[in-house]
Amino acid sequence: MSLQGLFLKLYDFWSKQGCYLAPTYDLEVGAGTMTPDTFFRVLGRQPWKVAYVQPARRPADGRYGENPHRVQKHFQFQVIVKPSPDDIQRIYLDSLGCLGINLREHDLRFDEDDWESPTIGAWGVGWQVMLDGLEITQFTYFQQAGGLELFPVSVEITYGLERLEMFLEEKDNIYDLQWSEEVSYRQLRYQEEKEFSVYNFEQASIKMLQSLFKETENEAQRLINLNLLLPAYDHCLKCSHLFNLLDSRGAISVTERVKLIGQIRTLVNQIARKYLEPTGES
Amino acid sequence: MEFLLEIMTEEMPASHLRSALSQLREKFTEQFKIARVGVHSLKTLGTCRRLVVLADIEANQPDEEELITGPPKQVAIQADGQYSSAALGFAKSQGVAVDSLEVVKTSKGEYLGFKRLKKGKSTEEILTEIFPDILRSLSFPRSMRWAEKNFRFSRPIKNLLCLFNSRVVGLEFEGLKSGNLTYGHFIHSPNKLKVRNFEEYYQLLKENSVLVDQEERRRSILQQFQAKLAELKAEVYSDEGLLERLLWNIECPLVIMGNFPQRFLELPIEVLSTAMREGQKLFSVVKGKKQLPYFLGLADAPADPKDFIASGNERVLKARLEDARFFWENDLRVPLAERASKLDRVLFHEKLGSYGDKQERLKKLVSYLADRLEFRGQKKDLVETAGLCKADLLTEMVREFPELQGKMGGLYAREQGYSEIVCQAIYEHYLPAGLDDPVPVSTAGAILSIADKIDTIVGVFGTGANISGSSDPFGLRRNTLGICKIILEKKFHLSLYRLLDKAISLIGDKLTISASQLKKTCLEFFESRVWFIFEKQGYRYDLIKAALGPGFEYLEEMEARLKALNELRHSKNFEPFILMVKRVKNILRESPRARLNTTWLKEKEEKELYSALKIIKKNVENMLSKGEFAAAQKMIFRLQPPLNNFFDRVLVMVEDKKIRNNRLALLAQILDLTENLADYSQIVIESEDK
Repeated sequence: MSLQGLFLKLYDFWSKQGCYLAPTYDLEVGAGTMTPDTFFRVLGRQPWKVAYVQPARRPADGRYGENPHRVQKHFQFQVIVKPSPDDIQRIYLDSLGCLGINLREHDLRFDEDDWESPTIGAWGVGWQVMLDGLEITQFTYFQQAGGLELFPVSVEITYGLERLEMFLEEKDNIYDLQWSEEVSYRQLRYQEEKEFSVYNFEQASIKMLQSLFKETENEAQRLINLNLLLPAYDHCLKCSHLFNLLDSRGAISVTERVKLIGQIRTLVNQIARKYLEPTGES
Repeated sequence: MEFLLEIMTEEMPASHLRSALSQLREKFTEQFKIARVGVHSLKTLGTCRRLVVLADIEANQPDEEELITGPPKQVAIQADGQYSSAALGFAKSQGVAVDSLEVVKTSKGEYLGFKRLKKGKSTEEILTEIFPDILRSLSFPRSMRWAEKNFRFSRPIKNLLCLFNSRVVGLEFEGLKSGNLTYGHFIHSPNKLKVRNFEEYYQLLKENSVLVDQEERRRSILQQFQAKLAELKAEVYSDEGLLERLLWNIECPLVIMGNFPQRFLELPIEVLSTAMREGQKLFSVVKGKKQLPYFLGLADAPADPKDFIASGNERVLKARLEDARFFWENDLRVPLAERASKLDRVLFHEKLGSYGDKQERLKKLVSYLADRLEFRGQKKDLVETAGLCKADLLTEMVREFPELQGKMGGLYAREQGYSEIVCQAIYEHYLPAGLDDPVPVSTAGAILSIADKIDTIVGVFGTGANISGSSDPFGLRRNTLGICKIILEKKFHLSLYRLLDKAISLIGDKLTISASQLKKTCLEFFESRVWFIFEKQGYRYDLIKAALGPGFEYLEEMEARLKALNELRHSKNFEPFILMVKRVKNILRESPRARLNTTWLKEKEEKELYSALKIIKKNVENMLSKGEFAAAQKMIFRLQPPLNNFFDRVLVMVEDKKIRNNRLALLAQILDLTENLADYSQIVIESEDK
């Protein structure tokens, strides 16, 4: 199989479960959870089912293309189902089955792992799913987002696509994976990892990032005041990515870290509250 | 009769399970007691997917005689002795003959009434009543909601099985109805199983890859460990915590064994075992103290026929070890001293500044401690150590495995050629991590550990922190306990009060509360930990209180006083002496303090008492200076005969104010002397109790 074969199968599986297949969101995010297709839709009472592939950018995880399994950008397959179905664990097992994994020959475990994203004021309870010792999925029942208690509760299933494909292909090196039959992961990604590692760790202009952060934050607040919540949220995502870049440049002390994350969260919490106001929902 | 309850859930965390099972045991026992249902046995068992209660209980609540009261006697029975209409009406409404009514006395007076036998409820009925409340009352460290329910539990509940005497008890809970069905292993044998009793339940589950009894799982794991390691003559690097956690995480324990390339054995055993434990939760294998290139892991599966599980784990572990080796080699490229110089950029605490600032304070604290603890020869080494000890916080290894802090610093220092005393002190300076954790072996490590901890305690309290319940982000309880443990076990003669003064002065203008208020807060906190330590060791509450009377400036002295009290409490002089001290204290309670004038001592008995006091005092002080607390306490018992005579023959409260105050002053001197040893008045005497 190949990575694209993998996510085609997952698309197919979850589409049959009634999920809307969302296109990848066009902003840098640290996790699939952060895109509007998850963030806004887990708020409020409307049922929702969505699945999508989302690149996750984590600048500090870059290794100049030299580490066989750490990269500053990886791909997640994100599923949200709201409200969480009673048999969601069984459905998830079936999705692994459709990838050709015969679970009876393996050791699959749901290992306690609660999840939290202080930046978007969200936390949930659940597991990391371990397959023969490899973490392949994060499985979470969302309890809060944007600082608000969620009702009904959504379940989030996030597959780590490269991990899963390495498992399926029995490969030890991420760059040895096939994206398609013709194209390898190395061809597509190696140069990108190398250059972005240099950028993330050495070349990103701290001064520029700091001033962009400030301006973007101000813009987000201005947009919130105008009730333009979706554009405001986009600016929060931009802030979050700028923050991650500053962090990988080593330009954030521990106090500042808490402070900056708090600033973004304050914005996001305002957005969530306004989004649920009767006027904002229509 | 047999009662079997199984609550199936999605995978609950190991840390929730033990507590959930013991809560179930307690609550069912309590509720059966309240409902008066006889319980012959009751136990709980389970896995991450099932909470099971198994009991042998009575079929019914026993029948009970109840008293039904009607109208008051004077209303019910007329002057002519006939029943009134009120009485007739009551009998009719209760469906009994009026002749069967009798006069009963209650606390409110005499009434007409009758006794009737109330049939006990069936146990099934009681179960349906108590079950929902019990389930709702379970508490977890963190609970969750799911779907469209407001109910919270550890994880979603999937199925209820409830049998009493082989019959289904119909429970309803949050949309679930109980039955006689359970399910086998979620992945390997997800069959629906119909069950009539525990024996069948247990057996069917076993056939379907579930060992429901945790102790049986433990035995199976240990046996499999042994079988795997017999040939190598090796053993598992003991990790009770990990075993305990895994024991609950799996329903069908299968031990797998794998290996990793020899080249990783260059890594220290601390790093290897941590890399194995974190993430994959593998056990390392050792022979003697040497790490072997093998690991053991626990799978939740009946078998590994295609070797997928073992080889999968090998692949993942290899990648992790590759990472660890990358960290190790990279970290070693930078000298510790160079890293330490960058600690100014790493925040320790918002108000207390960076780790660089902390290390500067630690240098002064270890230097102070070296002077006090006769460790001046190594002072230079210690100060150097204090300046390096936090450097490993900047290493990639500690960023990846935070629990290796300190240890990595020590290991890197060794690789970089620092002296043994420096390496070991850095390595050990986070010890002890708890009541049962060992204290540092080396004196330098112990000193650095005390310095680090006192700085945190004083700093965090001094900038306005409040410790309450579970909120203790800087581990102040653990740190305080650690200092006490080190002082006691190392037998350090160290003034805690002056150490606090020193640490407070070093925090200086960063304090947000006054130094005296801070010292008071710290001392109260220390006292609570001292209590905790000695109570855990089984000392009597009142003896601890008495031994704390003279304070706990020198903890090892306080301990010696306590031990002495504990040994002497059975001696025949003990009780009379305590009673005597209490008497003295009572007399002095209302009296002003006066100076003793020996020329005003008139009576023979008071002169004798004074001369006995002089001699005993001298002896006691001599003994105390040598730390001989038991001997000093025995010595002080000798005050009793002259004091007895004094009380028998001399009146303290005489008219003459001068003489009276002088006698009170003599007693005050006695009390002062006793209070150097203990606050004896705190001790509870059994004869007093009665």
